[in-house]
Amino acid sequence: MILSFDQVGLAYDGGPECLKDVNFSLSEGEFRFLTGPSGAGKSSFLKLIYLAMRPTRGRMTLFGEDVTNADRDALPPLRRRIGVVFQEFRLLDHLTAFENVALPMKVAGVNQQQYREDVRELLNWVGLGSRMDARPETLSGGEKQRVALARALVSKPDLILADEPTGNVDPQMGEKIMKLFVELNKLGAAVIVATHDLQLVDALGKRTMRLDGGRLIEDAAPARSRGRMR
Amino acid sequence: MSSVSGIDGAIEPPSPEDLVAEKRDSARNRFLRRFSRAPLLPEAGAGGAPLTAVIAVISSLAALALAAFILIAAASNAWTAELKSSLTIQVKGVDAADIEAHLAAAVKILDETPGVVEYRVIDSKAAGKLLEPWLGKGNAASLNVPALIELKLSPAGRAGIPALAERFQKASPAIVLDDHGGWNDRLADAARSGQALAFAVFALILAAACAISIFAARAGLSANAEVVSLLHLVGATDDFIANEVQRRFTVIGLRGSILGLAAALFLLSLFALATRARGAEGFLLPGLTIGPGLAFPLLAVPIAICLTTAVAARFTVLRTLRETY
Repeated sequence: MILSFDQVGLAYDGGPECLKDVNFSLSEGEFRFLTGPSGAGKSSFLKLIYLAMRPTRGRMTLFGEDVTNADRDALPPLRRRIGVVFQEFRLLDHLTAFENVALPMKVAGVNQQQYREDVRELLNWVGLGSRMDARPETLSGGEKQRVALARALVSKPDLILADEPTGNVDPQMGEKIMKLFVELNKLGAAVIVATHDLQLVDALGKRTMRLDGGRLIEDAAPARSRGRMR
Repeated sequence: MSSVSGIDGAIEPPSPEDLVAEKRDSARNRFLRRFSRAPLLPEAGAGGAPLTAVIAVISSLAALALAAFILIAAASNAWTAELKSSLTIQVKGVDAADIEAHLAAAVKILDETPGVVEYRVIDSKAAGKLLEPWLGKGNAASLNVPALIELKLSPAGRAGIPALAERFQKASPAIVLDDHGGWNDRLADAARSGQALAFAVFALILAAACAISIFAARAGLSANAEVVSLLHLVGATDDFIANEVQRRFTVIGLRGSILGLAAALFLLSLFALATRARGAEGFLLPGLTIGPGLAFPLLAVPIAICLTTAVAARFTVLRTLRETY
């Protein structure tokens, strides 16, 4: 089991709960979509998983470890097993595309000689081989998205999280990015993609969770009619 | 990744301006990478220029305080060595003949004493001449001015000072040996006070450097909250982030303190030139030369400032991270 939520609740600074009584689990190699209207709690749900926050109620395990009240020193090794594509990219403006992608490797203390080729390969793979030395301010929205994607994948994570990964790209690019997540999932990584794009969700035919008002109201296998993009 | 096909197409061509900026960036990055790895936290201001300037001023003051400490020690040593190297024998009497008789007795004792390197007799007449600038010419003759003997002893002879004083006392209470101990003690006390003051100023300046580093580290973390948050999310430990900040502060501390030390050495050189030009050298202060004796101890300033700023920044970052994230 990669991830489990047991009656998890989350409140910001003692305010009302934005996530309530969430029960959920994710096994190795699973793919889930996370949908719901704006303000449903999708981003908060992902924040809990990538350990930006901790549950204020209930119990959460990640990679078999109870992280609900784990010591903060126990979190960095777990975070390194997760690749996150943030909705707003969160690239560091003072670093080049290459350095942004290499960031998780640097943080993990990997020698540059060891990761240089991986980073180059990834940037070539996302079509940015010619722009490795470009700073984010000179990249388009789609290019930034692909740098963020490469950064999320560079450490070959066990769990990939993406928050609205197609929100800043055209439909054709969005479809390619979604197909990419499916391919990565086939290679063994568990994937959770939060999206508004129900057309893409329908087209891929993957298990889908639906949040509304902070509650997980649906966690369903795909309908038979779905899956035309598989 | 090789079994997964890449994303191709849909690449918007970069604008010519972007490509020019990228080319410039690229050349600069290649140059910088030869010497250092890219900092994960962005530089504060223009290369931390304001903080570098403050550290330079602080280092300059610290170097001057340390120089004062060293100079006072040197001056004190010179003064006390001068006083310790000689003794004075004062020979009094009711009239000139009495003084002459006592003087002869004192000289006889000196001639019999081992360890006497040399002595110089300043008889009553010559001693009176020394007072002429204050008393006027010929006025000292009626005063029975005591005769003086300036005496130098070997190190072994100095051990016999109490016995020598006793022999003089036995010969006549009018023969008094002065080993300058009182002056020596007072000068040593004054020098110690001066040194303590200089050291206190040095310590206060280090405390100021510490306070500035704490403030700057907090401000830096606050300004780079987004970067710090992202570093955490990609798996950075608090130690990793603290190392980054510490590395930055070490570089700024080193840069600022070397500038400050250079400024302090320049000021000290000007001071040395000014004292030489006025002929003040050797009067109160020993000769001030910017040699290894002064320059090497002053190298402690950049080291102390670097350590202070880096350690203060590190602990501030670790504490702030625990409180904030």
